[in-house]
Amino acid sequence: MSFRPASALQAQELSKTLSSVKGMMLTKRWLSFVVFILMGVGLNAGPGFSQGWFKTGINLGQTQVKIAVPDFPPQSVNQQLVSLTQTFNKVLWNDLAFSGILQMVSKSYYPLTTPQTPAQVDFKAWSGPPVNAQMLVLGSTASVNNQMVVTAYLQDVRSPGSPPAMAKRYVADLSPEAARAIAHHLANDIIQLLGGGIPGINLTKIAFVSNRTGYPEIWVMDYDGHNQHPITNYHSLCTTPRWSPNDEDLAFTSYASGNPEIYIFSLLTNHRLPFPTYRGLNTTPAWSPDGKKIAFCSSMGGDPEIYVSNVDGSNLQQLTFAPKVNISPVWNPKTGKEIAFVSDRSGTPQIYIMSSDGTNLRRLITYGGDANAPSWSPNGLFMAFCWGEVGTGAYDIYVINIATGQIVQLTHGEGRNTHPSWAPDGRHIVFCSTRNGGHRQIWTMLANGQDPRQLTFKGSNWNPNWSN
Amino acid sequence: MQSHRGSLVVLAAILGLTVIGTTSCHKKVVPPPATPPPPAATPAPTGSLTAEPSTIQAGQSATLTWTSENATELDLEPNIGKVQPQGSTTVSPQQSTTYTLTLKGPGGEQFDEARVTVAGAPPTPAAEATPPVTEEELFEQKVKDAFFDFNRANIRPDARVALTEDAQFFKEHPSIDFTIEGHCDQRGTEEYNLGLGERRAEAAKNFLVSLGVAASRITTISYGKDRPFCTEQTSACYQENRRAHFVFGSETH
Repeated sequence: MSFRPASALQAQELSKTLSSVKGMMLTKRWLSFVVFILMGVGLNAGPGFSQGWFKTGINLGQTQVKIAVPDFPPQSVNQQLVSLTQTFNKVLWNDLAFSGILQMVSKSYYPLTTPQTPAQVDFKAWSGPPVNAQMLVLGSTASVNNQMVVTAYLQDVRSPGSPPAMAKRYVADLSPEAARAIAHHLANDIIQLLGGGIPGINLTKIAFVSNRTGYPEIWVMDYDGHNQHPITNYHSLCTTPRWSPNDEDLAFTSYASGNPEIYIFSLLTNHRLPFPTYRGLNTTPAWSPDGKKIAFCSSMGGDPEIYVSNVDGSNLQQLTFAPKVNISPVWNPKTGKEIAFVSDRSGTPQIYIMSSDGTNLRRLITYGGDANAPSWSPNGLFMAFCWGEVGTGAYDIYVINIATGQIVQLTHGEGRNTHPSWAPDGRHIVFCSTRNGGHRQIWTMLANGQDPRQLTFKGSNWNPNWSN
Repeated sequence: MQSHRGSLVVLAAILGLTVIGTTSCHKKVVPPPATPPPPAATPAPTGSLTAEPSTIQAGQSATLTWTSENATELDLEPNIGKVQPQGSTTVSPQQSTTYTLTLKGPGGEQFDEARVTVAGAPPTPAAEATPPVTEEELFEQKVKDAFFDFNRANIRPDARVALTEDAQFFKEHPSIDFTIEGHCDQRGTEEYNLGLGERRAEAAKNFLVSLGVAASRITTISYGKDRPFCTEQTSACYQENRRAHFVFGSETH
């Protein structure tokens, strides 16, 4: 797949985009919207605000922008372009609908004529009933010099005559993969513009473990479940994949040598990078947010404890000293100064937080039961985890506000729900669930528990980890 | 997985045989007469019959040994007939058989019995030709796994018994190196179970080392819940999967 932004034209359109966004910010309606978001950040769970603290913290906000997204028409009847345009329209709709910040207006309400440029937009028709949209995505596709060209605009239809909030042209190969990529890029741009500047996740990946070939191997797929492909082929046991902060490497556990060891695999070169081997269990590697250190579980000293070393293995230090299970470390991705992990030193697995040098240990979840699989939210404020009554094997996904201890339950007994992992936008969570048919499968949902989507269907699939 | 199931079957068979062997081994001692016979009278015949071993696999043989006093005629049945006052013979019954030694003499008639229990399926010709003597086969027959409680890695009383017998076996066979696999039931999460399985394997290893088995002979590895022995959602199945499992040889290479 090759993708490149359009050259001179796009640069010109971009500056136009920026100035129009600036202008938009100053309108009264948009000002109040922005102010509301800023207020929300500072609310911190006042009793009168119910769970507003939670919605704001996970970037889903209190209100959603109503957006109309009519299908982009192809500008020629070239059969290949028509087919690729269908793919583009489908992916764009799916990306925006799953963004968590937009309310999609059903296509059945749209006017009969679809505008291809802002000049053709009937503002009243799109902003008035029955559409009642605030924003309109419009444009067209074309085949030029054997390439797919998509011209796209984002128009505020409640401000008649206003310039488009965004105008961009995307160029890529005439292939389904490229059509998908263009849709993902456009959706990212729209979501970043309407979602408080937070980049969209439509080009992110999910690593996971799948046994569909007969052996548990590391696999990677697009965030929407497309393009599932294996990374390892050891015919052994590979598990616990973790993306490096720059998404260029995957660290995971491999039993290929006969002993569980930490492998670091470069996706750029398709080669293993060196990391020391230690006796016993070596598993659950976790990258520090600066990408320079790896925290991991090792029983090199007899029982599973948390260690940290540089990525090349130097400067090894033991952080925990409890002769029980200590496993599944995760760094505070915002500060890099704290590490959460799972320990059963109290008798059941529980989640603890310590400073990244091993001091200041405290228990995070104090509700009894089994608390497992911590995942630290990108903004450092929340921990997603799974929790269940001891011995039932039934787990659900929860999120705790680390500062206040308030907890929100995201899944409610639909099968067994484990191993959450945050998307980099803080609005989405990938997890493992048995809710459909009993096998472990990878699902995504909004970080408030809504809109669950199944991504895997072959074999059993578990331990998902969202790229950065 | 196949080898796991196979070793389970063997284990069950051994346990079963042990039970049969201890309950049906029949060595009857002839009771003394209720009243002593008059001194002048001819003494009654006495004697005993034993079978060693008392339990065999089909196709194997046992030795019948007998002694007697004051008997002039000894008859060993079935299928053997008249025998000398003292002696032994090997028998290879196809099914469990009670042998009866009848003693006749001037002083009267007595008898004693010994039972040979035949266990297991009829042997294949190959099995008859090669008796099981490799150390790996002995390992499969003798070494018992240790089982654990949920979320726990401490050695239970039943695991203590199993591991104590295992330690004795390993000390008697010092050339055997072996691997202890830690396994967990499916209820825990994947990652925590990797750690818990490691602690179970280490706990079993430490127990053996404390009984004098060299640590250098033992490799440990945790498979967490990734290589279960059974996959049903029953408490019996969960228990099957919470174990330290012994494997002949070293798995690492």
